[in-house]
This record gives sequence, C-alpha cells and structure tokens, in this order.
Amino acid sequence: MSLILARNELRRLFAQPLAWALLAAVLGLLAYFFLLSLEAFLVLMPKLAGVATAPGVGDLVALPLLRAIASLLLLIVPLLGMRAIAGERQSGTLPLLLVSGLSDARIVLGKFLALLSVFAVLIGLALAMPLTLELGTTLDLGRLCAAALGLVLFAAALTAVALCASSYAQQPVVAAIVALAANLVLWMLDAGARLEGVTSSFINYLALPTHLEPFLHGVVSSVDIVYFMLLAVVALTLAARRLGAVRTQA
Amino acid sequence: MLAANQLASNNRATLGVHLNENFMSAPPLLQLRNVGRVLAGRTIVSAMSLELDRGSVLGLLGVNGAGKSTTLRMIAGVLAPTTGQVLIAGEDLREQAQSAQRQLGYLPEQVPLYGELRVVEYLDFCARLHGLRGAALARAVAGVIERCALGEVRRRLLGNLSKGFQQRVGIAQAIVHDPALIVLDEPASGLDPVQAANIRNLVRELGRDHAVILSTHLLPDVQACCARVAILHQGRLRRDGPIQALDGDAALLVSTTTTLDAAKWKTIDCVQDAHAVDGAWRVHLIAGAAPAQLAKAIVDNGWGLNEMRAEDASLEQMFLHIASAEEARAVA
Repeated sequence: MSLILARNELRRLFAQPLAWALLAAVLGLLAYFFLLSLEAFLVLMPKLAGVATAPGVGDLVALPLLRAIASLLLLIVPLLGMRAIAGERQSGTLPLLLVSGLSDARIVLGKFLALLSVFAVLIGLALAMPLTLELGTTLDLGRLCAAALGLVLFAAALTAVALCASSYAQQPVVAAIVALAANLVLWMLDAGARLEGVTSSFINYLALPTHLEPFLHGVVSSVDIVYFMLLAVVALTLAARRLGAVRTQA
Repeated sequence: MLAANQLASNNRATLGVHLNENFMSAPPLLQLRNVGRVLAGRTIVSAMSLELDRGSVLGLLGVNGAGKSTTLRMIAGVLAPTTGQVLIAGEDLREQAQSAQRQLGYLPEQVPLYGELRVVEYLDFCARLHGLRGAALARAVAGVIERCALGEVRRRLLGNLSKGFQQRVGIAQAIVHDPALIVLDEPASGLDPVQAANIRNLVRELGRDHAVILSTHLLPDVQACCARVAILHQGRLRRDGPIQALDGDAALLVSTTTTLDAAKWKTIDCVQDAHAVDGAWRVHLIAGAAPAQLAKAIVDNGWGLNEMRAEDASLEQMFLHIASAEEARAVA
C-alpha cells in the first residue's frame, strides 16, 4: 500500500517543475564543481608526482565533490519535502488518504520512500561524474560505494526530518524553513566543541558530519549506520503521530 | 465495474458470515451510537444516534454551522468522535479502521483533487488506494468515468477543470471502489442547475443499491433525491424520518383585513391551530381538510380575506417550526 502512495507521490513530484528545476540546478552546480576540482588537480599533478604519500585523485577530486553533494542535500531536501504533508493539508487532499484505510505510519512511509528514491537517483547521477575518471585512471571503487551508502543514509535522515516538519507545519514554506533550520543545527552542532579540540564527546556523536565523514573516506561502521537510521525512525515516528493527531484534534 | 461489484459483494458476503456468527442478525450498515464531538471547547455535535441501511438515501439538512460536515467527517473516519462510536457493518471505525473504511467512499466539502494529475491518473490512484488491482481496477475506472460522464475530460489536468467537472471527479473518487456506504458532503454545491440535476440523478441511482448519506442546506437537493431526511440544528438531531412526513406539515399563510386572535381561528372547524407570523397567520388545518374550506369559512365570517397561500416548505421555516415547537415544549 505504501508503494502505491509512493508511486503517486513520484508522479505528482515530476508533474510539476519544482523537482525538475531542483535536480537540474543541483546537477549543473555539481558538474561545474567537479570540473573545477579536476582542473585544479591537473595543475597540481606534476608537483605531486615526486611525493611518495601524495593525495590521489580520490582525495583531491572525489572527496570535495562528495562534500558538496552533502551540503546541497542539506538545502534541497527541505525544499522538495516541504509539501509532502503540509501541502496536502493546505489543498484539502489529506482526507483522501485518511479515508483510504491506510495507517498513518504507512502514509508517512510511502511519502518517505518516494522522496528518498528521488535523492538516491540524484546521488547516483552525481557519483557518475567521478566514476568517469575510471576511463583514465584507477579509482578506489570500494571507497566510492561506501560514500554512496553514506550519502543515501544521510539523505534518508534528512528526508525524515523534512517529513516531520511537514507534518507539523500548516504551510509548506514553514515546513521548509523549520526543516532547514533543523538540518543546519544538526550539521553544526559540534562545530564549537571541535574548535575547542573536543572530538569524541556526546555532542560530537549527535552531529551529522561526525557520522558522514567516515563514509566519505571509505569507512563503513555500524555506529554511523545506526545513527542515521535512528534519526530517520524517530523523525518518521513523530510525523506519523502528528498525522494521527489530525484525526483526533482538528 | 462488474468484477469490482463481484469483488465487493464477495467481501460483503464473507463479512456477513463473520458477523452472523457474532450477532444474531446482521447489524445495520451504518450505526452512530451517541456520537458527540467537542472542538476547541465548543460542542459541535452532541449525542447523535442514527442508523442507515443499504438502499436508502439520507439527507442531512442544516444551516451553516449546524454540524453537518463534522458529522460526516466522523462517519468517514477522518475525525474521531469525542464520545460514542461509529460502526460500519458492525465494525468500530476506530478499532478496525482499515476494514471498516474499505466499505465507504467519502467526498469532503473541499474536493480532494491533485491539480497536477490527469483525471484518469487520479481515479486510478484512488482505486488502487482502496485495494483494486489489475483487470478489476481498469474496469472500475472505466465504469466510473462513464457513470459520472467524465469521458471528454479523462486526459485533462484536474487543476484545469471547471467546478462542475471537479465536483463530478470528486464523486467519482468516492464511488470508484463500489463502497457499500457513500458519504457526500454538499455534492451539489457551486453547480449550475443543470449540473445539480445531473448530480441528483446520479445520487438517486446510487441510492438503489448503496447506502448514501449527503449533507446540504438546499431543500430541493433533499426533495429530489432523498427518501429520508435528518435535520441537524446546533449540533443536535432534531428530526429524523421519511421526507413525506415533512410535506404533511405544510401550513397556509393567511392575511385578513380584520385583526384576529388565535381563539377566533379556533372557532373554524377545519383549523387545528394558528400562530401569528409577521402580520399574517400561519394556519394548520386538521388532517383531510381542504384550503377551500378555510377560505369559505373566512369569507362567511366576513373577516376580509386578503391573501392565502401555501407556505413554501423552506428549510428556514422548518427550522422556525422546530425551534418554536421546542420552545413550546420547554414552556409546558
């Protein structure tokens, strides 16, 4: 049942210009960024040739690109997810889902799957750029796979947060702003602590970059996977609860 | 459509068996038990009890703010009642939401349309949402498009349709899965007279083998397609019965040149009672009496008959009647 809803969500998303425009803008930006990094690498390459432990193309081209993808996700996930529930509330279409016999959790799950699949495709397309370097050089493909996994988990957590904001907000714009603020807080939570040299406290654990960076460096650890999943599950549960309150309160 | 019907009736059959094991006889399709709803400290609907079975159309009448939409939202399961329960074929709408909601189709006051989808895509989604698949799904969608006369707009975007077509798509959405109970919140609002007549015909047709409950503040809607009418006033069910009973209430409005009082009216044999209204008299005749008898008596008494006409059975007057009857009861 959730899949039916997800399919319809995707159809609606791509029947409107917002999703296309966002994807085009993001991919365009990333492509430009990728070419810049590549150019910089080509300039640097002769100087690096003599150094034994010199950073390779993975560190100098792929890593900045991966970080750019993560930063852009922080911005576009709230924009694409804002209408998921708040938009339905505004246009009066929520009763359609509420009378269908679908449970609140399934409604939220359907919307989550639809949005996440869009971001997964986006991440896939963006990662295809560094993959083209395989034509001329040798890449650490395992590291790229780890990065892809990390980015998808990261996107899943952000999507859940956006859905949660969308389920509480009355207007989509409010949902976008709240989700964006939440993302930025989670992103910069431990910035102060790290300036002070604290890198393994609880506050570091709560911040998003702490768990994303290892993936980008090719390290997959269960702690990081659990962190993103936990964040997603908590946010989705809250969203479903809020949707259930619609039936009893308003 | 046929297969969808079969599917639905199979479901009903198994449901019936299941219910008969638990109850001695099959419960009514829709049952409201003491349903009440408080919103923000205000009682919107209080202690409403109602039963409805297949093959009947119930019109829920009331002025704006009487609690019609709230009642229908509770019946559809979009809003939970504060007190009491809503049962659909004996199943509590809250505890067995999924199986109970499978049996109902709901058109909210604001038609729930996705403006960016085409009519066919939208109806396809609604049918899938209610569990239809494969060939049954295709037949159900094709059937409902024909039934609601949506053929010419089937490839158009919902957002670009006229109000009349949007309303029709809304009804199509409510009936595409052939539910036993159809709940329509103001189905004919904002339509021109021709479109409204079409909708009424459709509702009448649906009432033959489904249970339909619709809300409206327009009396013609109810007169055209409902066999039964429930009047809702200030959140309470004031009257629930066959529509003919209402016609029997019709009174005559009489004005005369001489000033009269109620006692004088009572001296005429065929008058049951009379009330002064805006300088005229609302006169109720005893059963079987003809207005001509009254006219003759007035002329014979030399009261100077100015005007005599049958009162329009408008909703407003019905309310006045209900309210005044209640006041009278309170005084007595």
